[in-house]
Amino acid sequence: MTAAPSLLTTIRATARGYAPRVLQGRGWVLAALVMAPVGLSILIFTISRLRGLDANPGEALRIFHEGLVKMLLPIMALVAAPAGIREDLEQRTLPLLLVRPAPAWALPLGKGLPWFAWGAGWLILGALGLQVVGGDPALLPGRILALVGAWWGELAFMTLMGLVFKRGTLWGALYFFLWEPLVRIFPPFLQRLTFTHHIESLAGSRAAQVGAHQLLAQEQVATHPALALLALLAFGALCWGLAGWKLHRTPVGLAGSEAEG
Amino acid sequence: MMTLDRASLRYGPILGLSPTTFELPDGGGITGLLGPNGAGKSSLLQLLSGLLPPSGGEVKVFGEAPFRNPAVLARLGLVPEGDRLPTGLRADRWLRMMGELSGLSGEGLKAAVARVLDTVGMSDRAHLTFARMSKGMRQRIRLAQALLHEPELLILDEPFNGLDPEARLTLMALLRDLAAKGTRILVSSHILGEIAQLTDRILLLFRGRLLAEGTVTEIRQLLDRHPVELRLTGEAQVLARWAVEQPELAALRMEEDAVVISVRSPRDLLPRLQKAAAEGGIPLRALDPLDLNLDAVFQYLTRDHA
Repeated sequence: MTAAPSLLTTIRATARGYAPRVLQGRGWVLAALVMAPVGLSILIFTISRLRGLDANPGEALRIFHEGLVKMLLPIMALVAAPAGIREDLEQRTLPLLLVRPAPAWALPLGKGLPWFAWGAGWLILGALGLQVVGGDPALLPGRILALVGAWWGELAFMTLMGLVFKRGTLWGALYFFLWEPLVRIFPPFLQRLTFTHHIESLAGSRAAQVGAHQLLAQEQVATHPALALLALLAFGALCWGLAGWKLHRTPVGLAGSEAEG
Repeated sequence: MMTLDRASLRYGPILGLSPTTFELPDGGGITGLLGPNGAGKSSLLQLLSGLLPPSGGEVKVFGEAPFRNPAVLARLGLVPEGDRLPTGLRADRWLRMMGELSGLSGEGLKAAVARVLDTVGMSDRAHLTFARMSKGMRQRIRLAQALLHEPELLILDEPFNGLDPEARLTLMALLRDLAAKGTRILVSSHILGEIAQLTDRILLLFRGRLLAEGTVTEIRQLLDRHPVELRLTGEAQVLARWAVEQPELAALRMEEDAVVISVRSPRDLLPRLQKAAAEGGIPLRALDPLDLNLDAVFQYLTRDHA
């Protein structure tokens, strides 16, 4: 009889075991989601330079906020999270993991870590790429921390949604694309319940670029960057923990559908 | 080793397993869990392997409730139904991970992976990804993962489904070998022949109820309503004359050079038959029980409870 593995061993073993999955199609879709807009911007920037045109100094800021933060980061989470523990539930391979003496509540994090590391790597590369099109070097560390912190939180959030709801991806998409855009009209307290607020607190806000027609309905609140980063990391940790707790508590049989809804 | 005390399982409003009570003692050997599709075999195995908690009653394996219980899970191995494995992974690396999740590490882990791959005959193909493996190969890997930590109890849910005849025979030989080495094996199937080839000890489930447990002979003896059919080969006319004088006779059917008799208590009849044949009183060349096999027992039980 063997002794049950520790929490750390479980997370390490699962992450290492499933790491090769990120090199498959879904992993390259994640890479493309980050690199396509950044690469396109670099291409346009290079062509503009070759034609002797001045680059738009606000381009990097626009791509970061409008592209990476608002659109691509949520899409990445929507794409990557179903490849985590949810995939085992749907493919009915979860019983093979759950019948081990390892702590079940460490499995979502263990399976999610390779996707987090893979996505974070490409996000960092994307943030560095934005420097080519005129990104402010002083804002670079904040942007990287904001992207990686938000990716951690959003991936964990979507993993939790996938375990709690049968249509977790739909609920996640509604949160990202209906709730988050309302950040500018939210009263101060509610602003802090969005990823956008914490990302802007870390990476700098686009408020200065907002035109007269986009006037805020509510005054934008500020959070100290360190607190914003802490909030993103803590929220992610909380979601991973809750996902693990949900998996530990929920009977998951061979049919694979008992944990749904 | 395992006890079910009025354990039941519900899937919402649907009863997967009626309150069931049975006990499987310690020690090696193979027990067949038999029943048609939808009989509740997988439900029972899920209770025993700790995947699902009972909706009512109590399930104990090695003296403890198995649901999310590391102390129990460290001592059992499960081969779930189907041939599903995580996509895109290599068998050897996946087995290594499963070994770590079973509490193995270092040299012990390496040795365990090599041992199980050798046991299932996949040592030279372990570098393949699951997508490149045949169904039989995947089934062997699924068995290998269950054997990594040398479990005392091995549970297999319909392991022969989809296997070609050669792979079936290989798997059966493997299971017999494991049982001989002291592993208690519980294997489910809806195909009588598979279980009959593996073991004589069965649990018979039908429509979520445990109908019978024990050896085929033990269960057959309990079926009083169904007389045992015996074929007496020899001079049919003489044998028939002898048979109609026996008080246990329930029915008689003539064949070309044999007579088929149905008797209510063969234990009383058989010594007299043996004596008469030995003394030359009847020209008996052969005696064949026709419904003392698993197939017949299964048919009788399911017909009675339908």
